Amino acid sequence: MNQKSNSNLCSDVVFKTIFESHFKGLRNFLIYKYKDIERAEDNAQNAFVILWENCSILKPEQAKSFLFTTAIRLSLNAIKHDKVVSNFELKSKTNGMHQESPEFLLLEAELKLQLEKAINDLPEKQRTVFLMNRMENQTYSEIAGLLDLSVKAVEKRMHLALLSLRKVIQNV
Amino acid sequence: MKKNNDINGDLPFLSDWISDKITDGQLKDLVNEEDFLAYKQLKVAINSMEIAPPNMEVNFESIQNKIKSKQLAKPTKVLSLYRNIAIAAMLLMFFGVYQLFMFSNEFQTDYGKTASILLQDNSQVTLNSNSKITYPNFFKFHRNIQLNGEAYFEVAKGKPFTVVTSQGEVRVLGTKFNIISSSNFFEIQCFEGKVQVCTTTSKDIITKGMAIRFYDNKEEHWKFQEEQKPHWIIGESNYRQLPFKFVMEQLQQQYNIEIQYPETIAQTKMTGSFTHSDLDVAMQSICIPLHLHYEKTASKKIVIFE
Repeated sequence: MNQKSNSNLCSDVVFKTIFESHFKGLRNFLIYKYKDIERAEDNAQNAFVILWENCSILKPEQAKSFLFTTAIRLSLNAIKHDKVVSNFELKSKTNGMHQESPEFLLLEAELKLQLEKAINDLPEKQRTVFLMNRMENQTYSEIAGLLDLSVKAVEKRMHLALLSLRKVIQNV
Repeated sequence: MKKNNDINGDLPFLSDWISDKITDGQLKDLVNEEDFLAYKQLKVAINSMEIAPPNMEVNFESIQNKIKSKQLAKPTKVLSLYRNIAIAAMLLMFFGVYQLFMFSNEFQTDYGKTASILLQDNSQVTLNSNSKITYPNFFKFHRNIQLNGEAYFEVAKGKPFTVVTSQGEVRVLGTKFNIISSSNFFEIQCFEGKVQVCTTTSKDIITKGMAIRFYDNKEEHWKFQEEQKPHWIIGESNYRQLPFKFVMEQLQQQYNIEIQYPETIAQTKMTGSFTHSDLDVAMQSICIPLHLHYEKTASKKIVIFE
């Protein structure tokens, strides 16, 4: 994670480094879990604010798990108040040099919509694991560590998610 | 070809396959053709997609702003702390003022010593051996004095002058009087003017040449010869019809000694005096009239026997 383990979290430079390395992952994680981009960004920001406030009692290497725990707690508090409106969205990778036929692109657009919907409908636990693995390229053991699960449980969830998503393809 | 979508299959082979732990060929053995193609399509589709990345700069700025606004919100908390400090300071001030106006001057005499104190209102207090007075700073406005022990007062005319003891209060306007006060003995002699004596059980007014004494739930009144001052001021304690135990108490007060005497003579009343300057002379003047003998057993211990 962070190479400057002995440096002080309260320094602006270290804090910025932590932000650069963890913000995107944290924000995306919250999106996968709670399907709400705006709230995910808001809560990810708030988690960093709380991290800053507690910088004197935390070590940089503790930052990541502190951020995730705090963000989940914040999200749960927010969810208590009102049901989340899902606005989960995927987009095609722009750098992929697809020279495909217009039919394929149309098919792909439709597939994307179907996939989005199917991912939205996945149980929260399967969706989180699936997207963390596929979108963030995190290994099963990394995910297991972050979510405090066994690797076996992560693999099981991944398997179940793929089984559900496979049905989407059938309909295309 | 073999197992169709076997959901109940105990091996999460799909998670192995998607993370490239098993090959396409191995998956082909596990699912049918149709499923295999669908999974392949799914993998391609999902891998070609991503989630819109956050705008890092905007987000970092938001965090900075949130931290700042939180820090700005803090001064109210600090103010509330100041309020507590202010309350504490005020209480302390009240306490200080109270102390200033109430009892804050203390004066105590040692064994065998007397002291004369001129108060702000020109009243004079003479303290006998091992006695203590406490009086407020602004004594002029609030003539209230606490006494423990024996003292002779010459009170200047003015506002009411009150002496508070553990046994009762003595209230006067302007007069001369002597008070002996201990935990179980209270005696007032009036040398001039008028004195009001208040205890929990009684209220008496005595005038010049009169004396009053409280002990063992008894109250005694008597008259004494007109004198200018009590004798102890000139170095001699005199007593009239005083139970032996209180004579001993006064003697112990004066000389800081411990006296043992037979319980049978504790209530014997005696009249006389003893000097403050010589313990042997004092002991003789007490013991000879009563046909008693005494012996010094240690430097501060005396045993009286019949």
